[in-house]
Amino acid sequence: MYLAAEEIQARVRELGARIARDYEGREPLLVAALKSSIVFLSDLSRAIPILHAIDFIELAGFGADAALGGTSGIRLLKDLDSELEGRDVILVEDVVDTGLTLRFLCKTFELRRPRSLAAATLLDRPYRRLVDDLPVCYVGFVVPDELFAGYGFDVEEKHRNLPDLHVIREI
Amino acid sequence: MLETPVFQAYCGEAPPRFANAAELECAKVLDFYGLPWQYEPRTFVLEEDAEGRTIEAFTPDFYLPEQDLYVEITMMKQSLVTRKNRKLRKLRDRYPDVNVKLFYKRDVARLAERFKLPIAS
Repeated sequence: MYLAAEEIQARVRELGARIARDYEGREPLLVAALKSSIVFLSDLSRAIPILHAIDFIELAGFGADAALGGTSGIRLLKDLDSELEGRDVILVEDVVDTGLTLRFLCKTFELRRPRSLAAATLLDRPYRRLVDDLPVCYVGFVVPDELFAGYGFDVEEKHRNLPDLHVIREI
Repeated sequence: MLETPVFQAYCGEAPPRFANAAELECAKVLDFYGLPWQYEPRTFVLEEDAEGRTIEAFTPDFYLPEQDLYVEITMMKQSLVTRKNRKLRKLRDRYPDVNVKLFYKRDVARLAERFKLPIAS
């Protein structure tokens, strides 16, 4: 086990309290990319004691289009239900690694003219970043170069339900 | 022989000619996410002899103009990357304003796992 559920919950509560302070008097929209971040989103949402909304987006994975030639661009499988114009948007990520996905989401959302755009990530691997100018304001844990399962992270769609975060070789 | 797809985010002049499959797959990932990239656009002289002839140089694989970042991909085992690390140190000493990042075999393997790339690790 890498992180026990209690450690994760304690950190999520801290992040929620910070977000509540930073967005006091506003009503942020939390946007999560399906699927790995849904557990983090649901805990984070319950840890934010101010009014806020949630929404989801889903991106086509690289592999799906790579089979068709590999050069088609990233695309949305599911767009947001909410309008972003004038909203305070917080992107909720499971992990920020190279930053390529988050950069795409930021670029896409900036076109919709939100009032502000920030990102919260459960896990961060800053040492592998290819894109640095990202609004990663809330970080749960900086993690080593391991693959994880549990707390929303899957191994071939399994183990997302585990309450703790495990390094994959342990499962 | 490696395929040469039509890239969307490639912003070099001549078509890229990749040295290996790992470079090609990394290029595909950059392209998929629409991050502008160039392939081997610049060679950095690391050492010259007394007559000014280049005796050591380094050409990073990718340049990301939006990030002003060079990226070198290596598929060597960790135990064999000493020479490449030394070159990188020399580059940083001689060109302190140049940002360069080395992606080791393990980093590429992680990318391959995440993006399901057909790269043997």
